[in-house]
Amino acid sequence: MSRLAAGGLIDRTRPLAFSFDGRRLGGFVGDTLASALVANDVRLVGRSFKYHRPRGILTAGPEEPNALVTIGAGARADPNSRATTASLYNGLEATSQNRWPTLALDVLAVNQLAAPLFVAGFYYKTFMWPAKLWERLYEPAIRRAAGLGRLSGEPDPDAYDRDHAFCDLLVIGAGAAGLMAALAAARAGLRVIVADEDARMGGRLLAERHEVDDRPGADWAGEVAAELASLGARLLARTTVFGVYDGQEYGAIERLTDHLAAPASGAPRQRFWKILARRAVLASGAIERPLVFSGNDRPGVMMAGAVSAYLNRFAAAPGRRAVVVTATDSGWTTARDLLAAGVELAAVVDARDAAPPAAADQARAAGAEVLLGARVSAVAGRSVRAVEVAASDGRTRRIACDLLAMSGGWNPAIGLGANLGARPVWSSAIQSFLIETPPPGMTPAGAAAGHFALAEALRDGARAGSAIAADLGVSAPAIQPPPCSDDPRGVAAPGPSPASKSKAFVDFQHDVTVSDIELAAREGFVSVEHLKRYTTLGMGTDQGKTSQLNGHAVLAEATGRPIAEVGTILSRPPYLPVAIAAFAGHHRGRDFRPERRTAGHDWAVEQGARFIDAGLWKRPQWFARPADGDWQATVNREVNTTRGGVGICDVSTLGKIDVLGPDAATLLDRLYINTVSTLAVGKARYGLMLREDGFAMDDGAASRLAEDRFFVTTTTANAARIMQHIDYARQVLWPDLDVQATSVTEQWATYSIAGPQSRSLLQRALPELDLSDAALPFMGVVEFRWRGERARLFRISFSGEMAFELSVPAALGDGLVRMLFDAGRAFDAAPYGAEALGVMRIEKGHPGGGELNGRTTAADLGMGRMMSRKKDFIGRVLAQRPGLIDPDRPALVGLKPVEPGARLRAGAHLVDLADRPTAESDQGYVTSAAWSPTLGHSIALALLRRGPRRHGDRVCVHDPVRGADVEAEVCAPVFVDPEGERLRG
Amino acid sequence: MRIPCPYCGDRDAAEFVYRGDASPVRPADGEGFYDYVYLRENPAGPMREHWYHAQGCRNWLVVVRDTRSHEISGAVMARSDRP
Amino acid sequence: MAEALRIIQPGGLALAAVMARKGVDASTIGERLGLTPPTDPTAARNPSMTLIGTGPGTWLAVGEAGQGDWVAGLEATLAGIASVSDQSSGYVVLRFSGQGAGALLQKGAFIDLDPAAFAIGAAATTVIGHLGVILWKVDDAPSFDVALFRSYAKSFQAWIAANAGGQALPVSIA
Repeated sequence: MSRLAAGGLIDRTRPLAFSFDGRRLGGFVGDTLASALVANDVRLVGRSFKYHRPRGILTAGPEEPNALVTIGAGARADPNSRATTASLYNGLEATSQNRWPTLALDVLAVNQLAAPLFVAGFYYKTFMWPAKLWERLYEPAIRRAAGLGRLSGEPDPDAYDRDHAFCDLLVIGAGAAGLMAALAAARAGLRVIVADEDARMGGRLLAERHEVDDRPGADWAGEVAAELASLGARLLARTTVFGVYDGQEYGAIERLTDHLAAPASGAPRQRFWKILARRAVLASGAIERPLVFSGNDRPGVMMAGAVSAYLNRFAAAPGRRAVVVTATDSGWTTARDLLAAGVELAAVVDARDAAPPAAADQARAAGAEVLLGARVSAVAGRSVRAVEVAASDGRTRRIACDLLAMSGGWNPAIGLGANLGARPVWSSAIQSFLIETPPPGMTPAGAAAGHFALAEALRDGARAGSAIAADLGVSAPAIQPPPCSDDPRGVAAPGPSPASKSKAFVDFQHDVTVSDIELAAREGFVSVEHLKRYTTLGMGTDQGKTSQLNGHAVLAEATGRPIAEVGTILSRPPYLPVAIAAFAGHHRGRDFRPERRTAGHDWAVEQGARFIDAGLWKRPQWFARPADGDWQATVNREVNTTRGGVGICDVSTLGKIDVLGPDAATLLDRLYINTVSTLAVGKARYGLMLREDGFAMDDGAASRLAEDRFFVTTTTANAARIMQHIDYARQVLWPDLDVQATSVTEQWATYSIAGPQSRSLLQRALPELDLSDAALPFMGVVEFRWRGERARLFRISFSGEMAFELSVPAALGDGLVRMLFDAGRAFDAAPYGAEALGVMRIEKGHPGGGELNGRTTAADLGMGRMMSRKKDFIGRVLAQRPGLIDPDRPALVGLKPVEPGARLRAGAHLVDLADRPTAESDQGYVTSAAWSPTLGHSIALALLRRGPRRHGDRVCVHDPVRGADVEAEVCAPVFVDPEGERLRG
Repeated sequence: MRIPCPYCGDRDAAEFVYRGDASPVRPADGEGFYDYVYLRENPAGPMREHWYHAQGCRNWLVVVRDTRSHEISGAVMARSDRP
Repeated sequence: MAEALRIIQPGGLALAAVMARKGVDASTIGERLGLTPPTDPTAARNPSMTLIGTGPGTWLAVGEAGQGDWVAGLEATLAGIASVSDQSSGYVVLRFSGQGAGALLQKGAFIDLDPAAFAIGAAATTVIGHLGVILWKVDDAPSFDVALFRSYAKSFQAWIAANAGGQALPVSIA
């Protein structure tokens, strides 16, 4: 056990049991999984992506590249979890990844022996030919060998929440700077949200031994958080702001139950926040940079700041005998932390020629060697046993140790600041990149703005918070940063140690070494973005948080350019991995998208309807009866019943729009190709609308209910689009017209009653109405009262039979359908669904979705003569373009198979019998097809070149995907009752 | 992204339907329809665009958006934006 | 969500879209109605009617269905100055009351429902959980009324059930 006897922010009264690869271990409340592993002397935690090299814990934060484990089991197994940020809970089960058969003995570690082969761009160079093998052999093999954790393959059993928040100031990161900024803003009365990834507010204050305002930093942070809460600020712990979006919008994930052993049943696991913030402070701190030397990836090599965090926050010693290797003053802070914790300090190796004198004296007094102007040249042992140091005198020393703490300086954590495309700018003062033009509304502060020392960070945070309050017009007394203990951190140039470059790792997670980057540079990949994609530098789940800058420094050196010129990459959301389920929230499975139900839905369910999606609507597709046998028989029966007696169909999903006002008729004249203004009150007319480019957009019926009152229907699919189109016409094109419009699709439940017996059925249902041809002729409309409510009866037919559409307020729709079938019992009325409706409209040659496909003109659909020449309408001019009036254009025809049993299918292409089917010989295609029970054979609608002049011709219906070619005869598109006698009864 | 609807206030862009350049004006006679339907500028910078507040007040807006940054500098009702 | 939440479906409402004719302003309509319609997204109320601003010159009128045809009466009253479309069946209206009401609706709506930003009488035509709604704040209980298109009622019910934490028994929407 390496748990220190005292100290830390853990609760020693609350022990926790957990397991790692089946080993039962113990920790305390307040531990992360990583700190508990450190306290249990677990050093080997994973295998690297490419070489399967043994890896240990590198960091103590979200930037961790190595310590990725699977937490949980079964469907709840969460792969690639960072052990460094996962809160420990009782019963936590963690397993290592990317190893086989075990972590200690990983067979694929032989990849290391082949390392010279696994150079930059290896995949691109090796697995190129033959291409066929890529899918079958290379990719599966590579996927097995490389990679990280595996998904369970089971549905995610957890629920995910979604919420929205608004604030004046969003503070990203609750360290010293973030807390000061939040305090300044909250005291000024701003609405403040503070989001921090950690379970506890405080940031680096929790990991260091500083005092703020004469008390331990962690206590100060706790008091500030309490004050913020009392001021009404919203504190979101365990919350990662992962993205910055246009319009000052931020995406964040709050982990609600990931730290709990037994979450309440049904409690959401995570919450996806969309936060709209007038201002934001990016106080995301800084990430310590590894030093690049041979063997820097061995277990036991750890970031110095992480060593301090494990000692100070978690009272866990990552080793017994330590060497600190540093390029800045901050490594000396860790040296002092090690001594304070009672860990033997073997040596401090500083690349510089001078060290902070007090710290150096303290180290020497404790018996540690102080080596200045020195560098680590090699690491001995699979897990660190000793380090070799190239001293300033040129001699190499070997120093035994089991922990190597390294510090290469700090990089501001500016990832979110670059989300909207601002290129980070090199700062020679801090030897790293900064955000100079942050996203609108964002202010980087503290270490994220390059102010690494504690006093600077507190001051910068206070300044940022006060400035934002003033900027938002709130005057408040300036807030004074509290006094604090402090020590310098210093800066150092990134890049490799000149002493050693072989197997010196830059990107630990993706196994990118110095030599990989140099090779890429030699091969011409000299842009950082190309380098990233070629070597995979920074493409791991950690997105290169510890590696990017060192990699770019190596590239700068290899190409002889200053790093300021080489630049660094932009970062895109998400800053840290986010579960897809968190984005989906409630909207998955059957709630993936909203569902629209008609008023008669429950009735249809009772009748055993099978439903089909029509946009968001659920429409009855057919109503099977046991005697039917199969769906085709059901549809045939529904068609036959309708054509022979009476059928009833729910047509409520059609779009319905009220077009009202003195100029309603004028507007409709400009929308439809035909004239509407001449329609008499109480009459309906079929109409077709074009787009302005001359192609057909939608069809429907317009009914005139009063001089200034029209009721317009659209197809189900285009309802929203036509509403939008009408609003465009009246608001943008012709705002001078006095016309109002609104969708009433939802107001009315509408049933079509069709068939020779339809009038008799209706007369029984509505005995008070006069349904004679004189009172209600074809295309007539009457309004009346049904059960005290407004109702409308239209004599309109889609099936070609005598038919009526009866509309009542949707709240009465269920009652209406039940009443209709009560009345229909005497007529053996049957419900019919969308499929039978489709068959009957094909039999009648009415255009549907297959014909109104955005590429057909009115003339193509046989409605050329409907186009009025007396008025302007949308699409009028461009419909006359030569290409659109070309008589050779494919136009609507009917097809019937020469062999009556043969089947025609939609999508099949038409070619002349003598031709081979090629793109050049193509004559058109089948737009809709169905089995016609009325005719006893397959029928189809098609768009055929010169089609209307080819009735009687025979063509080949070519369907290479689904079946053999079928010979068909071209005919008029109206198969049933071409004279329309049935309509009129 | 938020769009400042003159009636509803700032709203999520998902409530709106995008149409495109608001500049073309429907010709009064037969001339100029090709340009009206097909010809569009593609400016790098502020652009006047038609957006429809489909999930809000159902009004067509003219929104000025910088195509480089998505920065929106204003929006008015299209019906009151006659040249 | 621990705060109290109650969801009811008030019965007997008559609803209509009221759309001013060209050049007719709100005060002219107000004179006929005895209630001046708001010119912004807010709700104006008198004992017999609530008028919710849904757009420039458009309102959702909410009245008691009661006896007679309320919408027909409205239509007659406004003849010549506004067009009226009956929406009594088009929308279902739910009332969310209690301390948890705002928090629940905020989960679905990306507009600011904080009391300071969305006071009594405030209204919005917007989206909750991907469903279009007209939302207005009725009182300080607080109570919010939500009108949504009838066909979406089942989906909205599922959204409520998923987000109310099982704490409020969501109504069955008729």
